Amino acid sequence: MAETDLARRTLTVRGTPIEMVTAGRGAPLLFLHGAGAAGRWLPFHERLAERFLVHLPCHPGHGGSPTAEWIEHISDLAFHYLDLLDELGLDRVHLVGASFGGWIAAEMATMASPRLTSLTLIDPVGIKVEGWIYPFLFGMDIPELVATVFHDPAAAMALMPRDQSVDTMIELARERTAIARVSWNPSLYNPLLRRRLGRIRARTLLCWGEHDRLAPLTCAKTWQTEIPGATLRVFSKSGHVPHLEEPDAVADAISEFCAHKDSR
Amino acid sequence: MKFYYFHLMPYPMDHAEPSSWVTLSNRHYDPAVGHTLYNQYLDQLEYAEQLGWDGLCVNEHHQNCYGTMPSPNVMAAMLVRRTRRAKIAILGNGLPLRENPLRLAEEIAMLDVASGGRVISGFVRGISAEYFSTAVNPTHSRERFYEAAELILKAWTEEGPFPFDGRFYRYPYVNPWPRPLQKPHPPVWCPSQGSNETVEWAAKRRFPYLMVFTPITRIAQIYGEYREACERHGYTASRYQLTVNLPIVVAENDAKADEMARAHAMWIYHVGLRMAPPFWRPPGYLTEPSLRRVLDNPPKMPTELSFEDLEAGGYIICGSPATVRDKLRIFSDELRAGIVCSGMNGGSHEKTLEMMQLFAEEVMPHFRDDAHVDETAGIGR
Repeated sequence: MAETDLARRTLTVRGTPIEMVTAGRGAPLLFLHGAGAAGRWLPFHERLAERFLVHLPCHPGHGGSPTAEWIEHISDLAFHYLDLLDELGLDRVHLVGASFGGWIAAEMATMASPRLTSLTLIDPVGIKVEGWIYPFLFGMDIPELVATVFHDPAAAMALMPRDQSVDTMIELARERTAIARVSWNPSLYNPLLRRRLGRIRARTLLCWGEHDRLAPLTCAKTWQTEIPGATLRVFSKSGHVPHLEEPDAVADAISEFCAHKDSR
Repeated sequence: MKFYYFHLMPYPMDHAEPSSWVTLSNRHYDPAVGHTLYNQYLDQLEYAEQLGWDGLCVNEHHQNCYGTMPSPNVMAAMLVRRTRRAKIAILGNGLPLRENPLRLAEEIAMLDVASGGRVISGFVRGISAEYFSTAVNPTHSRERFYEAAELILKAWTEEGPFPFDGRFYRYPYVNPWPRPLQKPHPPVWCPSQGSNETVEWAAKRRFPYLMVFTPITRIAQIYGEYREACERHGYTASRYQLTVNLPIVVAENDAKADEMARAHAMWIYHVGLRMAPPFWRPPGYLTEPSLRRVLDNPPKMPTELSFEDLEAGGYIICGSPATVRDKLRIFSDELRAGIVCSGMNGGSHEKTLEMMQLFAEEVMPHFRDDAHVDETAGIGR
């Protein structure tokens, strides 16, 4: 789908302006992006859009969405997206979140599972797992970051900044600030979330890159234990971002999971 | 002009690591060497008082070889009992880095009472790297700074007990014993590198502004902005509100001074301030307008500065006593700075003491028109 086919619009969610891309046809699906991927319509979304009406908002402080000073905690983001569902008049959606976006999606699911037709978490962060400390991404330079996040470094090209201008650097700093605001300490998790995962009633799919070095498979096992009945799919050629590294396989796994009669 | 002896208490060493901060392993720190260094450094500060320096300065940095004083108040406490006259300037405590800043109000008050009112209390945010070493969220830095400062000033000046209910700091009972000896409270200084927000905040409260390791053109610009802000707030800045911190190297002639500076003073910039790029700008530490100013006109990194850059840029003062006097005249007469804070490094403890003595005998007496003025009277509060 060419960029011109995408409906890129700004809307206001309970006083907070955001930018969002919507494309495709089918049941509504809300996708929550991870760090560094704001506003990017990727081959993965293209594939999903064949089966779903995909809503791709930018988190406040990311891409075309201005900073929202009121956001102080990850649960603020979760409430923000529940507000977005109200704003869009969507009673229920398929919810998909990757990494940081997966964390937000999990928080939403603990608050309002009945609003979710299904829940897909792609290598989420957000919970404390015994024996694992998430590496501190803010302390890494670009090569270290790429080596931590990607199994195939070439896949990182998809997230390259568009240029090196001052405006772009400011935009990246704004995104990092928005993420740091809610995840600097504790680093990438909410100590309260793990126990709450047991409240999730939505059918849940966990997609995980086998070579994830940020949240390795041991984390996936914990998520699977905590979310009742969750299904785990492992992608063998991926690191932390399988939807970038094996986009078709992950999109197809989601479509297949959502085609289940209980998810319609 | 008043002279303050400023100590970083570095751990001088060479290494090939990308950063002297945060990640430089402490396996490089030999406590036996540290024992010698701490005692030599404290001897130097005590000697500075004997030689006539007006103040002695300590400061806070964490997890690096540049300055091994994670708690400046501990060093200040040692100086309190070993000195009698000099001011003891803590430049400063990193307010936002503390989870319990009421403890700072208590510690400074203890030092003030024990020293007979000789303490100057610097309030700083802490440099970028400290947010990695302490894990304090840098996006909260500025708000925590303002809130902690408000709490400390109230704790010093208002009769307790009273409740304090801030966004970051909350106490049902603020009632510190002891209260500070100086009235209404110890002078507060703002060491900084010139962010607009800090200039405005300090000028409004009459807190002296201290420029640290900054080129002279930038010092002139920031002093101008500070004086202007003071006028806007309805008063004219005293010269003792304008302070500069820069290394001084003095020797019997210019050539010798140059040689010593190249051998020893460059270490601060080339090793001490070497910092891996992610540690320079943690998210949210700078406001967007401040970040844009920096990116529009990126300054050279300390490791990129040559000795000639430092000399020509006025980052350091170096030369024979006559040359140093001439260069200091620029600070006293043109920039109208009232206080110069400086550290010295002769390459060894003995050579440093010699350099200090040379400065005290050949330079300092030429700047003593204000010998009978108390630079802290009515300043910083």
